[in-house]
Amino acid sequence: MSIEVNNLTKIYKQKKHQKKIAVDNISFTIPGGEIVGFIGPNGAGKSTTIKMMTGILTPDNGSISINGMNFKKNRKEIMLKTGVVFGQKSVLCWDIPVIDSLKLFRDMYRVPREVFIENMDAFIAILGLDEFIDQPPRLLSLGQRMKADLAASLIYNPDVLFLDEPTIGIDVLSKERIRHFIKKINEERHTTIILTTHDVSDIESLCEKMIIIDKGALIYDGTLPQLKSDYRTTDLEEIIKKIYLAGEKRYEKIC
Amino acid sequence: MRKYADLAMIGIKEHTAYLSSVWANFLAKVVYLYMQFALWNALFASNKGSNIPLSHNETIRYIIVATIISTFMECDVIGWINGQIQSGDVANQLIRPIDYKFMIFARHIGTSLARFVIYTIPLMILICIFYNGELFCKKQLACGILSIILAYMIQFLYSLIIGLMAFWLIVTWPLNMLLAAIYKLLSGSWIPAAMFPELLTKINMFLPFRAIYAIPVTIITTPMSAESIRESLSIQLFWVVALFLISEAAWVVGKNKLVVQGG
Ligand SMILES: Nc1ncnc2c1ncn2[C@@H]1O[C@H](COP(=O)(O)OP(=O)(O)O)[C@@H](O)[C@H]1O
Ligand SMILES: [Mg+2]
Repeated sequence: MSIEVNNLTKIYKQKKHQKKIAVDNISFTIPGGEIVGFIGPNGAGKSTTIKMMTGILTPDNGSISINGMNFKKNRKEIMLKTGVVFGQKSVLCWDIPVIDSLKLFRDMYRVPREVFIENMDAFIAILGLDEFIDQPPRLLSLGQRMKADLAASLIYNPDVLFLDEPTIGIDVLSKERIRHFIKKINEERHTTIILTTHDVSDIESLCEKMIIIDKGALIYDGTLPQLKSDYRTTDLEEIIKKIYLAGEKRYEKIC
Repeated sequence: MRKYADLAMIGIKEHTAYLSSVWANFLAKVVYLYMQFALWNALFASNKGSNIPLSHNETIRYIIVATIISTFMECDVIGWINGQIQSGDVANQLIRPIDYKFMIFARHIGTSLARFVIYTIPLMILICIFYNGELFCKKQLACGILSIILAYMIQFLYSLIIGLMAFWLIVTWPLNMLLAAIYKLLSGSWIPAAMFPELLTKINMFLPFRAIYAIPVTIITTPMSAESIRESLSIQLFWVVALFLISEAAWVVGKNKLVVQGG
């Protein structure tokens, strides 16, 4: 499924009538079946944008269209086809064995029996889900919890998957497995994936396209090779550093 | 339908996840009931009941039935919603293809079922052993059960509305403390509503609280004319409809005001 974002804006009201423009009039299009890296320094507005694209927050201005559908009219249809993982927060019920949450999602998203079994087998084979499936998330390690969260968001074969910092605080080997799994899902099911991360190697190994935002504004929207040729270097970390630094300088000038 | 059964099941499991708190809760109910019992006995012994509108026996029946109902009626919906707003977990609920309110309701039903089995049944057995007298008005029991179901809806909708206020207030506990005290007093779960002073009774006429305890408990424990039963049930029905409409409005407003905490 493709995603079209037009003039999206979100303003938070902070203390004493202070307002914070978290997302400032951004527009972009994500074609179906792509993995897009959604990058920006801390506080850039990535999570806020994702919360609007998943229908959690209502934008103050602008529109979001997912395969031509919008949250006002087609909320339920969109939700049935969307998976979300927040690295900083589990989507599973905290005190309940992982398997119960998976079964809940099976019924909630009307997953056919064969599909459920097939997906469970894949999760067990690739993510080693069977090791901790009977335990509640509160007893899991961060990496295990992330795997369980990925499984929970993919059990119903969503067409769009939002991953907000899915590799935060995860060891290299688990990270590798998670990346491999994300790649495989994208190739096999043509799932559109929007990924935010601060880990440059995540982007290098997964993303064809990149969207960079800073202070709520769109900085770059294009492919990874294009970005590299623009900056005449293959060192992505260096490029991102430059972009963030330029953003800070611009901000100092304004103030 | 299965998804609601799953949610109810999760409610049950969540409630029983911490076994020690289950025991503590049950003991608290027994102690509470004993204290109420002792208190009213002492009050009637010293006063001879001259200016109390209910008889000694009626009062004791009232507090026993009110305590039994409270074991499954009381819910944590306000706490759940507040917790979800403060931790940002509410995001996980909003991305699901089910209405948030139905999810909360299904979970609440699950919790109530768990409470019924864990607290209500054992408490009723204890009462059967230690209280020998007619507790219920047998003729009115069917109406009483209907009234409890309506009260259950009112209690849920009321909690939902107060909980949803967190969507725009975020920190609601000072308000909640105040409302909890008002609720406990006016609903008649502590003191039979018939004993309220005139002014309080008048105020209470315009509030939904008495429909949660005072009405069902009175129908179950006190013989009433068919007409006044009908009137009581209509009052409850009115509150179900009114609170439902308010909760829908609170939802529409709240959803747009919601700010999800945390990155
Ligand atoms: N609930 C909130 N209330 C007020 N301001 C917020 C809230 N959430 C985020 N912000 C502000 O909005 C900006 C963007 O936040 P966020 O989208 O979480 O950034 P990112 O995910 O890119 O790190 C930050 O400056 C942050 O301080
Ligand atoms: Mg973030």
